[in-house]
Amino acid sequence: MLARKLLAMFSIFLFMFILQEAVISQFKIFGAGISLFLIFTLLWAALGSPELGAVTGFGAGLLMDLSQTTSSPMGQWTLIMILAGFAISYLGYGDDNFRGNPISLVIIVAFAVPLTRLVYLVIGLMLGGEMGSVLQVLMSLLASALWSVAIVPLLMPVVTRVHGALFEEQSHG
Amino acid sequence: MRNGGDNRGRLLLISLIVTSLFLITLDLRGVAVISGLRSGSQSAISPFQSVAATIFRPVGNFFADITHLGRTRGEIESLKEANEKLRNSLINRKNADAELKQLKSVLDLAGIAQYKVVSAKVISLGSTSSFTQTISIDAGANMGVRPNMTVISGLGLVGVVKISYPNHALVQLTTDPAFRVGARVAGSQQIGILSGQGTSKAVLQLLDNQTTLKVGDVILARGSQNNRPFVPGVPIGEVTSVDNAAGAVTQTADVKLYANFSTLSVVAVVVGAPKNDPRDALVPRAPAPIPAPTVTIYATPSESPTP
Repeated sequence: MLARKLLAMFSIFLFMFILQEAVISQFKIFGAGISLFLIFTLLWAALGSPELGAVTGFGAGLLMDLSQTTSSPMGQWTLIMILAGFAISYLGYGDDNFRGNPISLVIIVAFAVPLTRLVYLVIGLMLGGEMGSVLQVLMSLLASALWSVAIVPLLMPVVTRVHGALFEEQSHG
Repeated sequence: MRNGGDNRGRLLLISLIVTSLFLITLDLRGVAVISGLRSGSQSAISPFQSVAATIFRPVGNFFADITHLGRTRGEIESLKEANEKLRNSLINRKNADAELKQLKSVLDLAGIAQYKVVSAKVISLGSTSSFTQTISIDAGANMGVRPNMTVISGLGLVGVVKISYPNHALVQLTTDPAFRVGARVAGSQQIGILSGQGTSKAVLQLLDNQTTLKVGDVILARGSQNNRPFVPGVPIGEVTSVDNAAGAVTQTADVKLYANFSTLSVVAVVVGAPKNDPRDALVPRAPAPIPAPTVTIYATPSESPTP
């Protein structure tokens, strides 16, 4: 049963990944574009248990590592997304007031998206990567936070419904 | 029971982290399976990207134009009148025409320097999560595109092919923070290293501090050994400011890149370099000054001066 749920979840993430790589990447708008896949993943992880958040992060990170535009070593996004998925789900776990409040979810995801990207940048620098203009990086991080604030309320009803349909039994069980 | 659940959770987390560290280690050690995975995933996604590029690129260009509204305002104004007359007939051809224009300019540039090129369409504008600056093009190894080949547009250097797949390739843009190219100043032939900064400006560091850079100096690619990764003579950009800090070991300058990276649709990969260095042949010509009309006023004094 759990395997079937995970398979369904993987299909959803694969769809979102293809959507990000094929469609969203065509738009280079304010702040280097929208990381829809990252926003979706963190929002999804925020709705589940820490274990599920870590597994979600692992799967999403693997997909991000497989992206042709990722120049970092394979596994870097995986590592960061495991930690991000675990952390974001751990924050509000067991607190229904927190989870049930859409505003807190928007804030936490809007904070987590740039933070995740910042950690990616720092680990990339530790592995010998380049950073470029600090101002550009700051602009990009700020833009990703603003995009998250704009997109999370739009995604939330769908993600909450799909997540609930898949894992309702587990959450209550 | 809860304690057991916590332990399972910890074990799961540790297992996942160890797996990711294992992957990083394998990749850093150059295990072929990892690159094969990326190549496979790219092969699977590229058809989706090609279709999406055809459908959504006009929309993407529209957003890019909005982002650069200040810069393109004049262009938009002049296009408005023509667009009004031709809107119905051009609405479906607008994107194709833009690509054709870019293709023509890039072929013109390649023709002057006698570069042998393979033209390609941009099918993806790179990652939005990481900080790298790349594009994907629809020409790959089957068309002779190999890693470390120069990529140009009609305006100048776009980047270098990083990875070549059978039917597409990944291009590292000149704006990428990890991008480095040997450059020289047109005319004075001073040489230096140009580095991407993640923006439309790059930084040029001269190797010699005895000479002086000027605002407006044109920067060209110096060329690499066996013309890979860079063929010589490709225009890169123009010096916009010079850092003349006293006591600096080397002189640095900001360079405004010629290529417009937000509206790239068609590029060309240089698959064959000319026998002779084109030297300064590709330096963009300065616009011809428009003569200002002179107005001469003749004043005739009146016969009877007023008291």
